[in-house]
Amino acid sequence: MRNDASSFALLLWVGVGAALSAHADSPLFTSRATLSSLSGEQIYEHICQGCHMPGGQGAAGAGAYPKLATNKNFVSWRFVALTVLDGRNGMPPFGFPEGQGMRSGPSHLTDAQIADVVNYVRGHFGNAYKAEVTAKQIAALPHPAAELIGPQ
Amino acid sequence: MENGEASNSLSRRQLLRMIGATAGSGAMYQAMSSLGLAAASTYEGPIDLQGAPRGASVLVLGAGMAGMTAAYELRNAGYKVQLLEYNARPGGRNWTLRGGDRYTEMGGHTQQCEFDKDLYINPGPWRIPYHHHGMMHYTKLLGVPLEPFFQVNYNAYLHSSAAFGGKPQRFREVKADYQGHVAELLAKATRQNSLDASVTKEDQEMLLESLREWGALDSSYAYTASGASSDRRGYERSPGGGLSGRPIPSKPMALHDVLDSGLWSGVANGDTFDMQTALFQPAGGMGRIGEAFGRELGPVIRYNAKVTDIHQDERGVTVAFTDTREQGAPQTARADWCLCTIPLPILAQIPMNVGQAMASAISAVPYAAAIKAGLQFKRRFWEEDEKIFGGITYTDLPIMNIGYPNTGFQSGGKGVLLGAYVWGLRAMEFTAMPPPERLKKVVDYGSQIHPQYHKEFENGVAVAWHRVPFTMGCFGMWTAATRAKHYDDLCQIDGRIALAGEHASFLGGWQEGAVTSALDAIGRLHQHAVAQGEKA
Repeated sequence: MRNDASSFALLLWVGVGAALSAHADSPLFTSRATLSSLSGEQIYEHICQGCHMPGGQGAAGAGAYPKLATNKNFVSWRFVALTVLDGRNGMPPFGFPEGQGMRSGPSHLTDAQIADVVNYVRGHFGNAYKAEVTAKQIAALPHPAAELIGPQ
Repeated sequence: MENGEASNSLSRRQLLRMIGATAGSGAMYQAMSSLGLAAASTYEGPIDLQGAPRGASVLVLGAGMAGMTAAYELRNAGYKVQLLEYNARPGGRNWTLRGGDRYTEMGGHTQQCEFDKDLYINPGPWRIPYHHHGMMHYTKLLGVPLEPFFQVNYNAYLHSSAAFGGKPQRFREVKADYQGHVAELLAKATRQNSLDASVTKEDQEMLLESLREWGALDSSYAYTASGASSDRRGYERSPGGGLSGRPIPSKPMALHDVLDSGLWSGVANGDTFDMQTALFQPAGGMGRIGEAFGRELGPVIRYNAKVTDIHQDERGVTVAFTDTREQGAPQTARADWCLCTIPLPILAQIPMNVGQAMASAISAVPYAAAIKAGLQFKRRFWEEDEKIFGGITYTDLPIMNIGYPNTGFQSGGKGVLLGAYVWGLRAMEFTAMPPPERLKKVVDYGSQIHPQYHKEFENGVAVAWHRVPFTMGCFGMWTAATRAKHYDDLCQIDGRIALAGEHASFLGGWQEGAVTSALDAIGRLHQHAVAQGEKA
């Protein structure tokens, strides 16, 4: 839609964390300034549940958003962490270096936040994987390369 | 390009960050659009597909702009064409919600659109630049009447909740004052001989004259309260007739206030290639194009068909699908060739035997978050009270844009606004809310710009694109790196299967990207088919 993009332009459309204003005047909205202070649970509720739904129930349309509740893939924390870092099948990545990424794009989460949200989903919604992941373990995983917005 | 220009890139990144820190995301968007390649349509007139082999067939998947463009042209070229569509209507993202429509998003929330007759919202694309020649061609061909779309309205607002006490400023005033002060500064530098090294004396005279005209400066090259400046920014009292008609000039804002507000970031909103006048909208809603295409294609389209498997062999392509209204066994459709326009997040989940290159490309493109909300009000207060006729207000609030209807002016009665058009993180946050909560937030935030909101609001709809069942996202987002690695693989024909859609274009998110991508793909498919036909 950017193009207005899109189009949309809509669409036209945009990014790098979408230049958020400096003030979050609603607890429902965060900002660039406060995004980095969100906990794993808050990240889930502000961002992840848009697709994976409250309670990690997933959803179906022409395709599906995977159900996170009682998800056997979650036995691998690396699988979950790499998905958050890199995205998967249309899911936006959250592991770009801060201030970089793609137009209209995803927002940067710190390694500590990614660890926190991984621990949150692996410890809720009927998942009970006990071993907690640390920021250091996340940092050791490959992150999407620092890259600038290219020609669209 | 990102590798060879490290120093360049760094400064660009710093610039973007600076803009993002001080201005709204509209500014960021504009900056990024203008720093990227200008997105020009490659449409070169009606496609020539002469010589289709007798009896050759194509199965098209998806009845959006790409799929219907392809089906229309292939059918006219003599191919046997079938088109499978998931929805019960044609258009895909070319879509208009009107009173009486029901929309159920992923997760199960259903919204009933309660707009009055003739009022609508376009949840997806809403404007067509005049140079999107493919879109212009097909709207003309299909007899879809167009109306002007006001990208720039000098009387709409630029708004920062942190500037001018949160009071929205007229675009006209911000533009005039920014331009006037910049002209005054440059004139001063010129007259102090600061530009002697770079501008000849003769050119300096011309420069000064042009600055006076461009910036509405007075005879001493100052930007002051005057007839000249008021003729740009508006008057304290506008000129009129008789004894009461003597105009009173208005007083410009100080340079510091203009700069500090960040509102200058909205001044160039209509200057980018895609936003330059003229732009258009179909009368009655963007969905009129998809509806017209659907009528034209008639029985070629099979609706309510959810594709579950795509399998090619040496002689053709078989597609399995289920009817979404029944619980029956999968049915199949088969053709010599397949043009697949299914959005990538969905296609990535459908078994399809293509090579690793295309498969990797399909999985490599994340889709953007975006939301749009349509709000019906009891009266058109933006026209009646604020004299805003069409166009867009930009704000740093989470709603980001307010779009005023570009039609039905002074019609009295009710009106529907685009109450929010949001992307990025805030769109994800809106998406994570149930629709009624989204609407409540949109109305609350909008009331900071238009205090009439709470009194006049009646009903609304809020579409979050990641929850749209037939796309699972707004549009494909590419980076320089993913383009370099995957784009060609996405577009190359794999055996008997070709992909098309805005995701397979350099006009991401634009309908023109879908149209030109479809024409590009069927042109190449046609060459393959002709070559095979000759062999046979």
